[in-house]
Amino acid sequence: MASLLEFIKEKHRTTPLWIKALAPVLLLGGLAVFAVTGAVTAFVITAWLGQPIPVLGFDQTVKQPIAFPHTIHAGTGLFPSTGLPGQFIDGLEMDCTFCHRTVTSQANAGVPPVALCSYCHKVIGPEENPELAKLRKAAGLTEEDPSPINWKRVHRLPDHVRFVHEPHIRYLTQHPSEIRNAAPGVNQLSEALPSQVCSTCHGDVASMLEVKQVEALKMGQCVDCHRENEAPTDCTVCHH
Amino acid sequence: MTTEVFGKHKWGMVVDVDRCTGCQACVLACQVENNVPLNTQERYERARGMAWIRVERYWEGEFPDVKARFIPILCQHCENAPCEPVCPVFATYHNPEGMNVQIYNRCVGTRYCANGCPYIVRFFNYWEPVWPESFRNHLNPDVTVRSRGIMEKCSFCMQRIRRGVRNAAKENRELEDGEIQTACQQACPTDALVFGDIDPDNNRTNPGRAYSMINDDRAYTLLPRLNTDPNVIYLAKVDPDREGGAGGH
Ligand code: HEC
Ligand code: HEC
Ligand code: HEC
Ligand code: HEC
Ligand code: HEC
Repeated sequence: MASLLEFIKEKHRTTPLWIKALAPVLLLGGLAVFAVTGAVTAFVITAWLGQPIPVLGFDQTVKQPIAFPHTIHAGTGLFPSTGLPGQFIDGLEMDCTFCHRTVTSQANAGVPPVALCSYCHKVIGPEENPELAKLRKAAGLTEEDPSPINWKRVHRLPDHVRFVHEPHIRYLTQHPSEIRNAAPGVNQLSEALPSQVCSTCHGDVASMLEVKQVEALKMGQCVDCHRENEAPTDCTVCHH
Repeated sequence: MTTEVFGKHKWGMVVDVDRCTGCQACVLACQVENNVPLNTQERYERARGMAWIRVERYWEGEFPDVKARFIPILCQHCENAPCEPVCPVFATYHNPEGMNVQIYNRCVGTRYCANGCPYIVRFFNYWEPVWPESFRNHLNPDVTVRSRGIMEKCSFCMQRIRRGVRNAAKENRELEDGEIQTACQQACPTDALVFGDIDPDNNRTNPGRAYSMINDDRAYTLLPRLNTDPNVIYLAKVDPDREGGAGGH
């Protein structure tokens, strides 16, 4: 013990001052590197297994050309306006399939054309709402040239996967007990409506101001459900 | 539950060589349907052209008594496929519907399978596929675009099979014979290609057109001595000039 103390004292005398000054910096630096590595690893692992931790724009929301609120159109209750801060608007409870028309018949759910929006917005909604002004411009109501709205994709599986909405909507409407994140009472129905099954993979879109991906939609999730419901699990069904 | 159960069918094709005129419509239809990269002269010169189905031409006889013979060659979807056991990552395997399938995202590009294939119907993407700007909206959205470093081959138009099966399930009925057509079959002006269920154990009331042809007198398979047991069955050329009447290639 004594010799160790001697040793430290000896070192203390012989070590140059600049190294002594550097030591705490190195220690803190080491800790910082450790913390950053840990954070990055945690981020990568969560992103690998499911959804990444929502930091630095990785929160799965996408800036759309027009701030279209699903809340006001598809939800029930009072929702804040995106265009006119401070105002509250009553939800319209529109059916998802009114806008996503091909979801029950085709692979793609489809996002509605501007014409479908201007069907209502030719007259509905205050003039001074900047988001609606953008919409009316795109629809050719306030300016000559109509142009389609360039909506950004929110959910996108890799190119090597073929997803088809139609069989899922068909199966889940017939088997409401398999619907996940369902509204109360839906799981007990004998037959569900198409718009009641979307929550299985998209969460509660009707209460989202901006749509974001809540389910990881990884292969494991798809295959697990396919196994439970006797749906095909051959690779070629999803990869071709 | 649905009436369509996966693995109920065994898909196959009958190629009537007697009807083939060598017009190459099938080749083009396949290329367009399946997003097969465009071939250039340079690629052919380097023996790297890609065509999931090709029409081979043979000359028979001496001038002036010379005859052109055509035979369409596509993946034979062998039951004992030489390409399958050599894949180190199971990217190619035999699926329950009797087809030899290639899972592109599983493929790591060893090219063992192409070396194992005696019919030379597997193609490797040596380059990233590029299409002219005017083709941008021509790609088939139901088919994966294969990137560089991946093996590809005839899939019996898997996307059309899945769609046919889904449509039948949607309407809650049995799949009808001839409802699913491959792109090459659809394009063939002489009806030389017939795709369908060739399951010998099927006990449906209508066994199907392809099934009724596989036991024809003219039926043969390519390279039978290799015992690959193909699901593509050829019907030999009817040739009145030949000894014995009907002769094949
Ligand atoms: C059934 C009629 C109807 C249709 C169809 C419709 N909307 Fe609306 N939308 C409304 C109503 C009602 C409001 C509330 C207007 C108000 O009181 O401010 C609204 C509000 C909006 C607002 C402003 C929201 C806010 O926060 O202030 C936007 C932006 C909007 N809609 C975009 C769209 C787009 C884009 C489409 C087409 C995909 C569309 N709407 C289709 C009825 C409709
Ligand atoms: C008024 C028409 C309208 C209604 C009703 C509507 N949507 Fe949408 N939906 C849109 C538009 C426009 C977009 C594209 C803009 C965006 O992503 O916010 C969209 C986007 C989406 C997306 C994201 C698409 C992507 O790019 O991945 C999902 C998921 C979705 N809707 C689900 C639903 C569900 C579930 C309902 C019913 C609760 C519903 N929608 C009702 C118009 C509508
Ligand atoms: C089984 C899971 C599942 C269910 C149920 C489901 N979706 Fe989707 N949805 C997906 C996946 C996966 C994607 C991404 C598809 C892709 O990238 O090819 C998607 C994409 C979308 C998109 C954007 C792309 C497109 O296809 O146009 C919309 C809009 C959409 N879904 C709406 C809906 C609506 C509305 C419902 C309910 C009627 C619904 N979805 C039910 C899994 C599901
Ligand atoms: C909630 C459960 C569930 C989830 C999650 C799910 N599926 Fe399915 N899927 C089914 C069922 C059930 C069927 C069969 C429907 C029928 O009866 O035809 C099916 C059918 C399919 C089909 C059509 C099969 C055919 O015959 O061609 C495809 C493709 C498919 N699913 C892909 C996916 C992909 C990709 C995902 C992941 C993003 C996914 N599914 C997630 C339940 C699910
Ligand atoms: C029900 C649909 C479904 C089936 C069946 C399926 N996959 Fe997938 N697969 C997916 C989806 C969705 C993804 C993309 C999401 C992901 O990366 O997990 C994917 C991704 C992959 C990837 C890429 C993974 C990565 O991290 O990039 C590989 C490899 C793969 N699948 C191989 C297979 C093989 C081999 C089989 C057959 C044994 C198979 N898949 C069956 C839906 C499916």
